[in-house]
Parts: sequence; C-alpha cells; structure tokens
Amino acid sequence: MTTYDDRASLTDLTTTADRVRRSVERVIEGKPEVVRLSLTVLLAEGHLLIEDVPGVGKTMLAKALARSIDCSVRRIQFTPDLLPSDITGVSVFDQQRRDFEFKPGAIFAQIVIGDEINRASPKTQSALLESMEERQVTSDGTTYELPSPFMVVATQNPVEMEGTYPLPEAQRDRFMARVSIGYPSAEAELRMLDVHGGVSPLDDLQPAAHAHDIVKLIEAVRNVHVAEPLRRYAVELVSATRSHPDLRLGASPRATLHLLRAAKATAALAGRDYALPDDVQALVVQVLAHRLLPTAQAQLNRRTAEQVVLEILQRVPVPTADGSQKAYGADRSSSVPLYGQQPGGRRP
Amino acid sequence: MSGRGRLALCAYAATLMAACALLPLIDGVGWLVQAVFLLGVQSGAGALARRVPLARPLTVVAQALTGLLLLTWVFARDHALLGVVPGPQTLGRLHELLLAGGEDIGKYAAPAPSTDGISLMVVGGVLVIGLTVDAMAVTFRSAAPAGLPLLALYSVAAGLADDGANWLWFLLAASGYLLLLLADGRDRLSRWGRVFGTPASRARGAGAFETGSAPVAPLRTGRRIGVLALGVALAVPAGLPALEGGLLAGMGTGKGGGDGGGGTISAVNPLVSLQDNLNQPDNREVIRYRTREKNTDQLYLRIVALDRFDGTTWKSSQRKVTGIPERLPRPLGLSGAVSTKEITTSFSAAQYYEQNWLPMPFPATDVDIDGRWRFEPAGRTVVGDQGKNTGGMRYVVDSLLVRPTAKQLADAPAAPEALRREYTRVPDDLPAVVEETAQQVTRGAANDHERAVMLQKWFSEDGGFVYDTTVESGTGINAITRFLQQKQGFCVHFSFSMAAMARTLGIPARVAVGFTPGSPRADGTMSVTTNDAHAWPELYFEGVGWTRFEPTPSRGSQPDYSLDETPDGGPSSPAEPTKSASDAPSAAPSTSNSCPPELRRLNDCEAAAPADVDTAAGSGGSGWTAPLIGLVVLLAAAVPLLPLLWRLRRTARRLGSPGRGAEDVRSRTLAAWLEVSDTAWDHGIAPDDSRTPRQTAAGIVRLGRLEGEAAAAVHRIADAVEQVLYAPRPRPVTGLADDAARVRQGLRAGAGRGVRLRALLLPRSTVRAVWAFSAGWTALMDRWRRWSEARRAALLRRPSRQRS
Repeated sequence: MTTYDDRASLTDLTTTADRVRRSVERVIEGKPEVVRLSLTVLLAEGHLLIEDVPGVGKTMLAKALARSIDCSVRRIQFTPDLLPSDITGVSVFDQQRRDFEFKPGAIFAQIVIGDEINRASPKTQSALLESMEERQVTSDGTTYELPSPFMVVATQNPVEMEGTYPLPEAQRDRFMARVSIGYPSAEAELRMLDVHGGVSPLDDLQPAAHAHDIVKLIEAVRNVHVAEPLRRYAVELVSATRSHPDLRLGASPRATLHLLRAAKATAALAGRDYALPDDVQALVVQVLAHRLLPTAQAQLNRRTAEQVVLEILQRVPVPTADGSQKAYGADRSSSVPLYGQQPGGRRP
Repeated sequence: MSGRGRLALCAYAATLMAACALLPLIDGVGWLVQAVFLLGVQSGAGALARRVPLARPLTVVAQALTGLLLLTWVFARDHALLGVVPGPQTLGRLHELLLAGGEDIGKYAAPAPSTDGISLMVVGGVLVIGLTVDAMAVTFRSAAPAGLPLLALYSVAAGLADDGANWLWFLLAASGYLLLLLADGRDRLSRWGRVFGTPASRARGAGAFETGSAPVAPLRTGRRIGVLALGVALAVPAGLPALEGGLLAGMGTGKGGGDGGGGTISAVNPLVSLQDNLNQPDNREVIRYRTREKNTDQLYLRIVALDRFDGTTWKSSQRKVTGIPERLPRPLGLSGAVSTKEITTSFSAAQYYEQNWLPMPFPATDVDIDGRWRFEPAGRTVVGDQGKNTGGMRYVVDSLLVRPTAKQLADAPAAPEALRREYTRVPDDLPAVVEETAQQVTRGAANDHERAVMLQKWFSEDGGFVYDTTVESGTGINAITRFLQQKQGFCVHFSFSMAAMARTLGIPARVAVGFTPGSPRADGTMSVTTNDAHAWPELYFEGVGWTRFEPTPSRGSQPDYSLDETPDGGPSSPAEPTKSASDAPSAAPSTSNSCPPELRRLNDCEAAAPADVDTAAGSGGSGWTAPLIGLVVLLAAAVPLLPLLWRLRRTARRLGSPGRGAEDVRSRTLAAWLEVSDTAWDHGIAPDDSRTPRQTAAGIVRLGRLEGEAAAAVHRIADAVEQVLYAPRPRPVTGLADDAARVRQGLRAGAGRGVRLRALLLPRSTVRAVWAFSAGWTALMDRWRRWSEARRAALLRRPSRQRS
C-alpha cells in the first residue's frame, strides 16, 4: 500500500526530476526522450553510454546533466595513450612519511564523464570495470569506496570511425543503457544557433538538485513495487535473446537486473509506486540492444540488434490475466522456448 | 425397392415411432391410427411427386397441400368445398378447433381425452414433422439433420409427460432415427457400385453380397454401432447420479431432508445468519429480482435496521408495527429539494429462504405483497405477522432512488433534538479509544458530511483494514477496540464500528442489515445469493434522511455523494450515466427485450421471467400460439445460435460473479478485462498478447472509434487490471460490469451493420471454446498415453521377474 511517506517522496521525486530535466533541456534542444532516459538511468543507479557521430552534443548532454546536479564532476578525455592509473589513481612514495600515499584518479567523483571512451586502448577501458559494477577502486590491495550517487556517462563514436577500439563485451554489459542522440530537427538546430551562438549555455546552468536529494530519490526508486508476473516477463524477454537465431550473444542476467531497475525508475518518474509492463517495454531496446551480438548471417542481412529486440517484444506475451496468455495463442506456453534451441553450443 | 423409396418408408416409420412418445399424453390410440393413414398418404404424394419428377421445392409444396386437404377432410369436412377443398370457412373452423385444443390441453392432465381439438393439434403436428423429415431426408437427401425435427417431436412429448422420458419411447424414437440413417447410408453406399462382403460371409453361401440374403459387412457394422450407441444412451444416464430417475437417484436424499434442497435459512438473529451466510460454502440464490433501473449499484436490499447500541452489539428496538398502508409515509427527513427517482422492483424469493423481514430497497414507498405483513415505520421495514415469512414469496416494491448532492449533505442543518438524542446514544462504558480514533480520523472536517466521508475513506482505503469473513463476530465491550487494532473483519465489524464512531461524533447513526444488489443474469434479472449478505451504516442528515455509507472494502459500492472527489454544488454524478445507460440500447437481454408490449407492466414481466414449469403450465391454457411447429423451428434455430448462446453465457459468468475478498476482486477484474477484449475481438479488433493493458485499451479506443464515456470505460477497466496485477495493494474498483456494457455499446455504435451482426451471431471469440476443447482433449490423450505406457511397462516387467 502506498503510505503517505512514500507518496510524499514520489511527489518529491517527480518535481525534482522535472527541475533537473528542464535544466538539461535548456542545453539539449529538442531531444526530450534522450534527457528523460539519462535521468532514468541516473535514478536507477546505472551508467549511460551515449553513442553517436561527432558533433551532435554527446559531451554537452553529459556535462549538462552533471551541472544540473550539485555534485562532484570529473571529466576524462580518453586518448590512445591514457593509462589505467590515470583513471583509478596511483600510489606515490611520500618522502616525509616514508610511506606510499594513494593519489585518487579521475574516477573519484559522483558523475564521471568519459569522453570518447572508445579512443582508449582496451586495457585502459578495463580499468573502469570494477568501479562501474562494484562502485569501488582497489589499488595495491586497498579498496577505496566511491561516492554516492555514482554514475559514469560515457560518450563514444560508432566503431566504424577511424582510430577507435570497440568496447569489450564485459564493459558494454556494465552500461545500463545506450542512447543515440541523433541530429536535431531544423527548428531545433536554428534555435541552437541563436542560443549557443554567443555564449555556452553551460556557463549559465545552475544546479537544480543537490546530490543528497538524488540519493533520496534513488532510495524511493528502490522501493517501487515490481509484481511477480512482471519480473517473470522481464526474465522471459531477456532469455528470448539467448535463444534467438539471429544473435550470437544474448543478454546477461545483469541485463535483466538493469531492465527491472530501469522499469522501476520509469514508474517512479511517472509518479507510480509500482511498475507496469509499459515501463519495461519503454526502455527494453536501450537496455538490451548494446549487449547483443548479431550473427554474421544477420549482419549480412542488415539485421540490427534493435530490430531483434523489437521483434522479441512483439512475440513475448505480456502477463495480463491468469492463463489468458495461453488463450490467445495456445502454443505460447512459457515452458516452450520461442525459438528452437540451436544444435550445438552457440555460446561463445 | 429403390433406395429413395426405402428412404421415404424409413422417414415415414421414423416419424411415427417418434410420435409414439405422445401416446401416454392422450387417451386412446385413435389419433395414431389417423396419423398413420394421413402421413402415409402425404408421404405417398411425396414419392409420386419425386417420380414425376417435380422440382424439389414443388414436391414439398405438393406434400404440404396434400396434408392440408387431408386435415380438411378429416377435421372440417362440413365446412369445405366437396369435403376436401379448404375455403375461408374451413380455415376458420380449423382455427376454432386449435383454440379449443389449446384450452383442452390447459384443462386436462395427462392423459387428456382425444377431443377434436387435441387430435387436430397432434395429428397436424405429426404431419408437419413428417413433412419436414421427408423433405430433409428424401427430397433434399440429407438424412442426418432430419433428426432435429424428430428430436423436437420427442422432446415435446417427453417434456410434457409427468414421468419425464420413459426409456421405451426413447428407444422407439431413437431406433426410428437410426433406421433412417441406415437406409440413407445404404443408399449412399450403393451409389458407389456393388457392395462386397468379407471373405467369411462369402464362404457361408453363394451370392453373399446380394442384398436379399445375409447383410453385407458395412451394414452389419452400422447396425452394431447403432445398437451399441442406443445401449450406451440408455445405460449411461441410469448410472449418473445427477439425472433424476437413474439408479442412484434414491441415494442422495435422506428420509427427513425433503428433496435434498437443504435446510432453511433461519433469521432469528440477523447477525448470526449474516456471518453464516457469508461463510456458506455453496453460494445459493435467495432472491431474484427485476427492475427497469439500469444502474443497480445503489439497490441495496434492506432487511432490518439495528438502532440500539449497548456497547456489545447492535440490536433492533422493540417498536410498534402497523398494517401496511396503501402508500407508505414519506421517508423521515427527506425534503423536496433532493433529487429522487421512483423505481419499481419485482422480487421472487427462493422457497427455502424463510426470513421474517422482507428484503427491499430503501426507502420503499409502496409494497405489494400477499399475506399478513406489517409495517414498522421508524426502521421502514416490513415484518411477517404470525410466523409469515419470505419463503417462495413474490412481491413488488416501489422505492425511491435518493440522489442527494454532496453539497446538500454538507449543508444539512442539525437533526431534531429527539432523534439526535436517540440515535447518538452510546453506552457510558464505551472505550474512549473509539471516540479518540473518530476524532483523530476526522480532524479538519468542517461538517458532519465530511466527517462521515472521512470515516468511510479511512475504513475502506487509508486505514489499512483487511476484509476477512473468518474473523469471529466478537462480543463484549472490547469488540470494537479489538477490531480497530487488528484491522481485520467483515461487514459487521466495519458497519458497527463506523456507526458507533459516527455516534460519538454526534451524527445520528444506525446499522442496516440486508444484501448487496447481487449480480446480473443473462435474462436481465438480478440474482442475490447468500454470499451477498451484508451490513452497512446509515447516517441521518436533516433534509435527506437516512443515508447509506459503505465502509467495507471490496464489498458493494460507495455512493457518489460519499466520495470526496464529488465536486461541491454540482449535481450528483449518477444522474448522468444512469440516463445515458438507460437510453442507450443494451446488448444484453433486458426487460424491454424479453418483455412483449402487452406484458410491459412490470408485474407480468416478472411473472414471466423465472422460467418455472408451473408458470409455463399455467399459461399453457391461453398459449395455443406456440404449437409444435413453433417448437420445431425454435429447436432447429437453436443450432446456428449456439455461438451466440455460448457467448451470452460467457458474458453472464464473467460479469455476474461479484465475489468478496482480494482474490475475488482480482478474478472479477480480470474477467471483466477478458470480456472487454473478447467483445473487441468480436467486433474485429484482434487481441495481441504482446501488448500491455494500456496499449490494448488505446488500441480498442482507436480501432473501435470509441468516444466519451465508452472510451473512459475501457481505460478504467485497463487501469483496474493494472491495479490488481501489478500494484502492491489494488484500489477498490466498482462498476466494472457497467463499464464492460458501456464498451460493448460503444463498439456496437461504431461498427457497421455487418460487423454488428457477425459479433452477435458468430462472435470470433467463440474460438476459445474450440481451444478449450482442444486443450482438454490433448490433456486427456496425454493421460491415456501415460497410462497405457505404464501398463505396457508393467506387463513387460512381469515375465522378466518370473525368469529371474
């Protein structure tokens, strides 16, 4: 049952989130869905990967989000010669104390902007693995906690671009969602010319929320109720990617977790204290697509992971009534895989 | 004999054999002799016409004409030209005879004397059936459907006979039909060429495949199947305990228990019986009623008012009763400013429902009932005198649907002092926590109405109370305190506590005991069952009178004036939907549909509604207009109407089970949702199970071109589904059945005539019946396969053990 306290914090959540959203939208014109998604990921304790061609405002979005929240922000420009210790930190010898002292790296901030993450070597990219998943850094046997909230907003150019290294699968899996900004509409671009022509709008941006507000909101999102059928639905969606004939690699159990967290945040942003199938569906492409590897045949047929996820969405029945799933299509029992299991192990 | 001739003969024989079932109904066999002769001539005429050959419809016309001439000759010879040619006088005479026959049937018990009228009806009926059978089986070469008219003839006879279906007549009628099928099968087989027997039969004698000698194998097999089917048809019902007259019929009923209908429901203490009723495992119907009012949400049936609170329980005061006046006095405190609507409701109580108080809507203005009943003015109840009770009673009640606005209630002046003193009395030893809780819950309220609304909302939504009928009623001074702490109970606890708390706040209050409005049936009546038993508080507001509130979660419906979102000053919202609902055409069978114009007076409609055998037999005297042919047509028409009937039944089952408790609310909501999506499917909007309730609702609104109230109704139901499926504590929802009806009306209004007709007669969603059957069949086959495999495995293991 919704108690008065829950309700109050949900109201707080929507109003605060609205303030942050409006603040970011002052910089990123005409892309409300992208802004909303980045907020959702923030409240769902995930990390965001922004992937697009150069010059569409990836870094601007990351910075605007960071500025709109009154919290510590660090920016790392990933270059081919960047070293892992530049990110995590390094122990240096203190002559006076005659001891090693840990100098924290750029990762020690509440919002970390990783610009052009795929320009660094895989070795350096992997330095983010522990911090992104476990929110801590281990150096020389000592573990250092990262502050809360903690969010990595990374931007990258598509891998077809020259001088880039594709992110390793493990790294991609740690990002909750991937989003493309896309080119703005003509009007939005004109407006941008007017506004951005003189000064950078980032300079005027004032924080719309404090970091500890965001921590409270994250707590409220954690309390959002997810009914058992809905959890099952998320599991079915994700497991359908593992047996799809067009995919070489399906989504991991971590993807299921991320999907549910994102659904909770979406529900909370809509002012609800319980999640709906609509919340799961709203972000399923952004949450799942970047983790999937299409087969060579599917690539030849120009099938993208996004298309596969959309197809799965149309095939997995939504739990709407007891036993009614079967009524609509007698062969859609949950025990039967949607796609026949492939002979031999397709798992890499 | 040619195949066709044999077929005609068999059709003739089959009709007569089925007609034998009428023998126990009519004295003597004279009519049968007439029928044998006349039908023989009619069939002969058909055979001749086919030999000419005439076109098939002309053959039927010729046979019909022959039949008419024959009937004229036998029954109206004196009124006809040359004794056989019928004129207007002949028709008049036949009409008179049929009328007389109808009266005779109503007058005499079976076996009736074979008066001219009855003979004409029976012989004419047999001729009509014979003509139909002959036309279907011989003229149009389709023997199997000819079983339908035969079945109709047999059913009429079996239905009217006192002892039901005698096995001998069934055997005769079924044999006749089998004979017809056999002849037809033989005829078809012979068209393929000569029929060869098996080697064994050939060995027995030369020319084994000649039709004159031993029967050929396919025919023998056919006969065996026929005999086996007949044997099974006779033997299986005898072994089934459910069918009266079977071998086990005597085993179910005890000697002292009557016919197994169960004991009576006593109502010495209405509260004890209330909890008993709520917890009864079998949900039995106690009252059925019919009303023109479409919105029956507010039609609570009130039995008794409990106005004395002694701290332990609520009781009814001893008050003076009077005879029922012609017109009951105007309800106490009700002023002319409040909008009211008079509705008439006809009730029919079950035989076993023996209750001293009369269940009726509040406030009643006129009660029309036979027997010694008395009126108690303060509680506005009607009570039986000298042991008179409701068992099997039929009565009509006019009552007012009082629709105050929230503003009228809020502006109500103080109640008269005497009334206020009497109805706000609480015992001195009432625990202080009751008043404290009441004060706390209603903090900030400006007037009594707001206090009442806040109390109701606290009990039903905000207070965290759980509906549970298994909780003890509770006695003693602390019962209310305990309930306020444990927050578990059923309507008695909720109503008692709210009324007591209202009294501590100075609002005159009492508790009413009765029933919630019940659930709609497919025939437009409402059915009230033992599980609908209920108690609710009534609070007094000067200018409006005693006003119902509903604190019990998931039961009944909260009146609009008691919902705090009702806009102040505006008219109470039920007025609008009620009007539109009653103006719009209803898809479900309703009073106006099932009631012919001459029966529009509600009394007669009600009498015709419950299909009692008594009523049917009683009206048989004037019902000659429904002779045998009508029944034949009805039965034949029923077959293509099966999808329609199945669909109506599904709708009634889905929308007509207002259960209690969270689980019932869940299943009722899901059923309503399934009904809406099936209705949309029937109107061409295919279901897609990968869409969420929201998306489906939006799809139905878009594709079904729904607007206004219908569109809102779809979204309301989808919202309720989201609540019960995904929310941690679903909000109570009411009016789902009405919403489903609104959606149906909206979809019908937006669809073309063809789509509407298809949705009515051949609804797409009937494919569910096929799926259900197929799923059941697969499960059965699976079980059979497992069983036979286990059996085979067991057989295989046995010899190996012996070897070892």
